[in-house]
Amino acid sequence: MRLITAGILGAGRIGKIHANNLMAMGGVRLKAIADPYVDFKEWPGGTIATSRHPEDVLKDAEIEAVLVCSPTPSHAEFTEAAARAGKHVFCEKPIALDPVRVRTTLKTVQQSGVKLQVGFNRRFDPTFARVRQAVVNGEVGEVHLVRITARDPAAPPIEYVKSSGGMFVDMTIHDFDMVRFLSGSEVEEVHAYGAVLVDPGIGKAGDIDTAVTSMRLSNGALAIIENSRQAVFGYDQRIEVFGSKGGIEAHNETPARTVLRTGAGIRSENPLYFFLERYQRSFVIELEAFFSSIREDKQPPAGGADGLMALLVALAAKQSLLENRPVRVEPLGPPAPKKA
Amino acid sequence: MKPTTVGVIGIGRIGRMHTENLVHAVPDAYVKAVVDLKGVDPAWADGLGIPVRSTNVDKILKDPEIEAVVIAAPSGLHVELIRRAAAAAKHIFCEKPVAFEPAPVEQAQAAAAAAGVKLQVGFNRRFDPSILRMRQAVQAGEVGEIHQLRVTNRDPKAPPIDFVKQSGGLFFDFAIHDFDMMRFLSGSEIVELFAVGAVLVDPEIGKAGDVDTAVITVRLANGALGVIDCSRQTNYGYDQRVEVFGSKGSIIVENTTPTSVVCSSKSGVVADKPHETFVERYREAFIAELSGFVAAVREGSPVRVGASDALAAVRAAGAAKASHETHLPVRLSEDVQPTSGGQRR
Repeated sequence: MRLITAGILGAGRIGKIHANNLMAMGGVRLKAIADPYVDFKEWPGGTIATSRHPEDVLKDAEIEAVLVCSPTPSHAEFTEAAARAGKHVFCEKPIALDPVRVRTTLKTVQQSGVKLQVGFNRRFDPTFARVRQAVVNGEVGEVHLVRITARDPAAPPIEYVKSSGGMFVDMTIHDFDMVRFLSGSEVEEVHAYGAVLVDPGIGKAGDIDTAVTSMRLSNGALAIIENSRQAVFGYDQRIEVFGSKGGIEAHNETPARTVLRTGAGIRSENPLYFFLERYQRSFVIELEAFFSSIREDKQPPAGGADGLMALLVALAAKQSLLENRPVRVEPLGPPAPKKA
Repeated sequence: MKPTTVGVIGIGRIGRMHTENLVHAVPDAYVKAVVDLKGVDPAWADGLGIPVRSTNVDKILKDPEIEAVVIAAPSGLHVELIRRAAAAAKHIFCEKPVAFEPAPVEQAQAAAAAAGVKLQVGFNRRFDPSILRMRQAVQAGEVGEIHQLRVTNRDPKAPPIDFVKQSGGLFFDFAIHDFDMMRFLSGSEIVELFAVGAVLVDPEIGKAGDVDTAVITVRLANGALGVIDCSRQTNYGYDQRVEVFGSKGSIIVENTTPTSVVCSSKSGVVADKPHETFVERYREAFIAELSGFVAAVREGSPVRVGASDALAAVRAAGAAKASHETHLPVRLSEDVQPTSGGQRR
C-alpha cells in the first residue's frame, strides 16, 4: 500500500478525532496540523509538526492530502487553497452556507484536478451502510418510504445556534444526505414544519429546535425526517427504508447490550450519548475510503456534489418553514439574473 | 340484570367479527338479530345462536326488545342508518368513517342527541392496551411535554380495487385512525397539516383516483408536531407502530407478533412477522370497544369515543385530501372541504 502524507487544517474537536484516527491508520502519515487558535500543549508531540500557520500545511510539498476541519466559514477558502496547491481535500460539512460559494469552490477543485470528499460520515457507519446495501441488493424491493429520526441529546449553546446556519443546515443536512444516499434518488420537493419546544432561547436566536420534514423524491418515493435538538435519553438515531418487498430498520446503538429485569420493569441501555460515540467507526472508515480513492484514483464516495445537494435541500426546507409551502429543490440553483 | 339486546346491521368482514365478539366475549350483550342486504348464512347464525336473520333492517329497528345496534354496513350507508336507528330510539355503535364530510357527521350527531341515544364510533385503537398505556404515560407526564408524535400505519396487502373505489380513499378509510390517534394520544387538536401521497404499490389504485402511500405531517394546537406514514402493502404483515416523544423522553408501541420465538441459524436471526391483519392485532381492542359500548348503554355513562371525535377525524381526512390535491398545507376549520382538482397548484 502506497504511503500518503497528509496534513490537517483546524485542530478543534473534529480535527483532533481525525488526527488520532490517522495516526492509527496504515498507509497514511500525518505530517502536520495547523490552527491559528490552538497552542497544541495537550497534543501528543513527536512525529507530527504543529503550527499556527495554515500555509505551513498548504505549502508543504510532501503533503498530498489535506483535511479541512476548521470552523465552517473558512471551509471554502481552505478547500480552494489546498486544491490550488494540488492537494486532495477532505472537507468537513458544510463546504459553505451559501450554494453560490460552494459552486465556486467545486469549480476550483475541478480545475485543479484533485479529489474532494465531504464529511458525510454517516454514509460509512456500518449499520447505515448495511441499510444501503439492502436497498442496492433489492432486499426491500423498490423504495417507497425513507424515515429518519435524528435527535441530539442536548441543545447546543445559543452562540453556536446563531452561527450554525440554522437547524436544517447544521443538523438535518446529515439526514438529507442520508435520504439521498439510502434511496439513491434526489429530493425534488420538501416541506417542513418547525417549532421551538426545547429552548425559547433558540427561538429568540431565530432558529427552531423541533421539526418534521416531508419530501418527495425523484424516484417517486416519499421521505420523512423527525428532528429534535434534545432527546434527554441520548442520541436518537434511527432509520427505516420501506419498499415493495419489505422494510429494513436501523435501531439505536448502545454502550452495552444488557437488559435488566426487576420488579420495577425491564430496562435496557440508553443509546450511545452523542455522535462521537455513535459514529466513532464511521470517522475511521470515511478516511480510509478517502485515502483509498486517492491511491486507486477513484471518485470519493461522498463528493462535492453531494455536499451541494444536501445544502440545497436544507435551504429549501428553511424556505418552506418560512413560507409554509412545499419548496422545489433546484439543483442548478435559482436562475441567474438576466443581463440588461 | 338481563343482557342488553343488540342487533347487528351489515355482516361483512367487520360485522361478522363484531357479532362473534359480542356473542363470545361480551357477556352483558345478547345478539338477537343480524341483517344484511346480501342475506345471512344460516349455519353461521345458528352457530352463534342468533334467532333473527333478515335482509330488512326494520327487523332490527322495529323490534322493541332491541336496545342497541352495531352498524357495520358499507360507509356510504352509515349516516342514514344512524338517523333511522336514532329515530327508533336505539343506542348506536357505528364503524368508522361515519361519513366522508363533516356535515353528515354533524347530522348524525344531532340525530343521536335529539333522540337521547348513545353514539359510539369504531375507533378501536383507543381501546388497545398498548395505546391506552401510552396515553396514560402522556397523561402522567412520563414523557413530559409532547414534542413529536409518529404513527406508522401499513396494511399487509393492498385491498381489492372495488373496495378502494367505495372506501372514500386512503385518507378517509385508512389514515382516519391515525388522525384519531394523534388527537387521542396528544389530548390536543390538529390545527394544520400537509399531505403528500403517491401511487407506488398498485397502479390500479391510482387509476381509481386514490393513493396507496402517504406521508402526512401535522401541527397540533399544543405546539407539537406529528408525522403519519401510510402504505397499503407491506408484504410482511400489519405494521402498526406509534411513538410519542417529549421533553422527558419517549414512549414507543411496537408491533405485536403471533409468537415470541426468535430462531437463530447460520442464515440469520429470525423473529415472527407482525400479526397479519387488524383482526389479530386489535383483537382485544375490538372486544373492549364493544364491552365499553354495552357498559355505557347499561350504566347510562358517556361513550369513550363519540361523534365529535368522528367529526374531528373526518375534518382532518378532508384536509389531508385537499392538501394532497392542492399541494399546499391546509388549516383545519369549519369550512375545510376536499376539493376535486388541483386548481390552486
